[in-house]
Amino acid sequence: VQPPEKPLEAEEWNRLRESFPSPEIFEEVMFNSMVRCNSPIDVAKSLLTHVAKSNGDIAYNLLVKYLVLCVQQRQTSEICDVYDIMKIRFKILESGAYNLLIRGLSNSDQWRMALTLLEEVKKIMTPSRTNYESCVKAASRHQEMNLAFELYREMLAKDLIPTLDVLQAFFDFSRGMKGAELQKELFGILLYLRENQIYPHKTFMRSIKLWFESIPGENWRGHLTNIKDSGQCPVCNHQLEDSDLTEEEYNNLRERIIRDVIHGTDTFRKTSPQEFEAFQTFVENRLPFDIVIDGLNVSHIKPRRMQCENLFDAVNCLAKENARLLVLGRKHMLINSSNWKREIMKEMQNKADFFFAENISEDDAFLLYATLRSGKHCKFVTRDFLRDHKACLSNSLTRHLFRKWQRGHQISKKMFLSVFIQQPAFRYDCVVQTTGDTWHIPYKDTFEEKYSYQVPRKWLCIQQK
Amino acid sequence: MQSANMLLKKFVRSSVLPFAAQHGMKKDLFPVSRTLSLSLCLKQDNSCSPSEKLDLDAWKKVMKSGLQEEVSETVSEHKELSTLAAARETLEMWRLAGRSVPENISEEQLKTFMECPSKSAKKKYLRYLYHKELYKKNDRRKMDEKRERRLETQEQDSKTDETRRNSFICLWASCMDRAYSWRVAQSMIFGQPLVFDMSYEKDMSIREVANTVRQIVLSEGCNRRSVDPFHIHFCNFKDDSLYHKEFVKHYREAWGKLLITATDQCYTEVFPKDKLIYLTADSPKVMKTFDHDKIYIIGSMVDKSIKTGVSLARAKRLGLETAALPLEKYLLWNAGAKNLTLDQMMRILLTLKDTGDWKAALEFVPKRKYCGFVSRPVHELKKSLNLINTLKLGKRQEELRKQFTKNYSKKLMQK
Repeated sequence: VQPPEKPLEAEEWNRLRESFPSPEIFEEVMFNSMVRCNSPIDVAKSLLTHVAKSNGDIAYNLLVKYLVLCVQQRQTSEICDVYDIMKIRFKILESGAYNLLIRGLSNSDQWRMALTLLEEVKKIMTPSRTNYESCVKAASRHQEMNLAFELYREMLAKDLIPTLDVLQAFFDFSRGMKGAELQKELFGILLYLRENQIYPHKTFMRSIKLWFESIPGENWRGHLTNIKDSGQCPVCNHQLEDSDLTEEEYNNLRERIIRDVIHGTDTFRKTSPQEFEAFQTFVENRLPFDIVIDGLNVSHIKPRRMQCENLFDAVNCLAKENARLLVLGRKHMLINSSNWKREIMKEMQNKADFFFAENISEDDAFLLYATLRSGKHCKFVTRDFLRDHKACLSNSLTRHLFRKWQRGHQISKKMFLSVFIQQPAFRYDCVVQTTGDTWHIPYKDTFEEKYSYQVPRKWLCIQQK
Repeated sequence: MQSANMLLKKFVRSSVLPFAAQHGMKKDLFPVSRTLSLSLCLKQDNSCSPSEKLDLDAWKKVMKSGLQEEVSETVSEHKELSTLAAARETLEMWRLAGRSVPENISEEQLKTFMECPSKSAKKKYLRYLYHKELYKKNDRRKMDEKRERRLETQEQDSKTDETRRNSFICLWASCMDRAYSWRVAQSMIFGQPLVFDMSYEKDMSIREVANTVRQIVLSEGCNRRSVDPFHIHFCNFKDDSLYHKEFVKHYREAWGKLLITATDQCYTEVFPKDKLIYLTADSPKVMKTFDHDKIYIIGSMVDKSIKTGVSLARAKRLGLETAALPLEKYLLWNAGAKNLTLDQMMRILLTLKDTGDWKAALEFVPKRKYCGFVSRPVHELKKSLNLINTLKLGKRQEELRKQFTKNYSKKLMQK
């Protein structure tokens, strides 16, 4: 239905209602289309008046829909009125109405009322992150940075993940302000980005840059740049952090992989205890390897060729420079077949160590174990993104560690004109980082669709002159 | 509430009086008795003067005035609500806002609701209760309609003719019951065993256990009515388990008289190991024929979250032979997981046992999961199916991308 352009009289509404196919939901449908068309609120008011006069009451959902319209058009006084009415009518409100009220009021000069509403929400449920977003933005817009940070901390304490908009608001509204305390808080946000491996988008990055450059008397300068594969920043010649894990992180990750990925709820799901033990002794006796290869994955690189030839190429290519190789496979590879020729397999076994798992076991788990056991220098080769194994890890911190380690140690490759091109593992770590007088912040383009395994290639380099 | 009270006082003093005066209905308004009567007056009033300029804020006055005496009540009884009552209030508000929330909710359900770990879990649980309530209501309505219709026809019948004479007394149902029980009792002595492995309780949520039991109840029903029933064994069945509780809920007092064998022993203790075959969709081996000398095991598990390899792991641990149904071989699979419900498994096994015909047996696989029985070589059919799917999916992905960019730019514009 098309909402009318001018407020209507009662009879006119009645007529419209009767011409509507299902009159019992007429008001709801009408309000929905008003919200969609952003009709003037006078029209909505006239409908409300009509409803109030004919029923003596207005249903809650109609009030909420009217509220949507008011928030959409920033009619602050109207929002307050609706709130008063709701407050008299109902003991408590539900989250939808609170969301609207908080959003509507935080954008107006009545923003402090949004804060009291937030308190009210807290009494009955956990506020959503958008509730906090509105309040934080309102507070920082009015330069109440302490209040904003308090809300921000409260939000983190409730395990809510702040939107990038909130974080950006902090930088936008602290521009040009002086104060060691404030500066510390904002650095804290940058460290939060680092800890959670969040990459700001371009506009957010610009806000960060402008804030740094606006700090009075500190003389920060920001430049946009691309980091070389060597990990050196072309602007300040600073070497970025390498992607190695610390000793503690490394051991932690290894233990987690064994516990969550290989054993999980039941060791028999991926392998069997006997097989895993056999594999462990096999690895211990031949340590350390330089490169661990997922044989089956590599053997499918070129679909037209025989699978063992693919693997043979890969092994030959990687066997240079006396690297110690381990190839993981399954037992069916040993049976002479059209895809797996015994002679070629024999020849490969001279160049590399092979471990053949049962046909129903998962070789990826072994791949991870062997690589992690061999030490930090060891890399692994597979085109698999290992998402399912990452998902087995029980907490997000370990999952981040896994991604970081994977970035630094996975060699994925493309076969190109039968030449083997290695896509090198990253040497430097792609996170927000600082040395005190420099900051390096990776960012992504606004419209760039980034996959979780990709890291941005663009950086913001900030240094103090 | 304090503020509301203040506000009311203010509005009584300021807003209503001029409003009432303006409409010349002071005596109608005071004392205000009920909302309805008030609005009636307003309506009458309005109809008297249609040409008058519209008062757009009139609804506010109506909304505020109706509550005058109720407020004074609530102020006195307004205390700290208990958490349960507060949750009930919130649910009520959600219902008013038009969300999928059940009308009536029991204390127990409310507690389950409060224990849900996240907002989405809460929403999901409420939606489930809502739909349950809806189904129940519809069923009741249909039953009432049916009863009415029956009463009508009975009336007509009694008018038209007298009772017919019949050499059989109408005891059809109980006779059938007895015949079925006789058959199942026979099978308990001579029949082929079929094992339900009841050791998955810890892998399932409470609702999944309830679903499992429901499926087993259905399969037991089919088994009882078949020509040559299996001898059903519940192995690893603990007496104080959730399974047990759910079974009692379904069968009530019939649970004790059920013609099945329930034991807390493992099947490996009851039967010789070399005769057991564990049926699991993850098995690398595919079943070719139904073997009348073997004992098939079905895992009593509903896994909505697709935990792969759980039952295969169990068979591996015990060193049992495994098998999967030859779904790929006979059906052109389209969508959905290859694990079937327990009652579907039961029907398939019963049909296989009676006829040995795969085509007849696999009729019980849900139609939505496959496109048809394989007539041409599988790989050919698959190629065309893949083509159709990529065309469909390809288009959808394009749409999704467009949607994404549109939303994203909209979000940026709002800023």
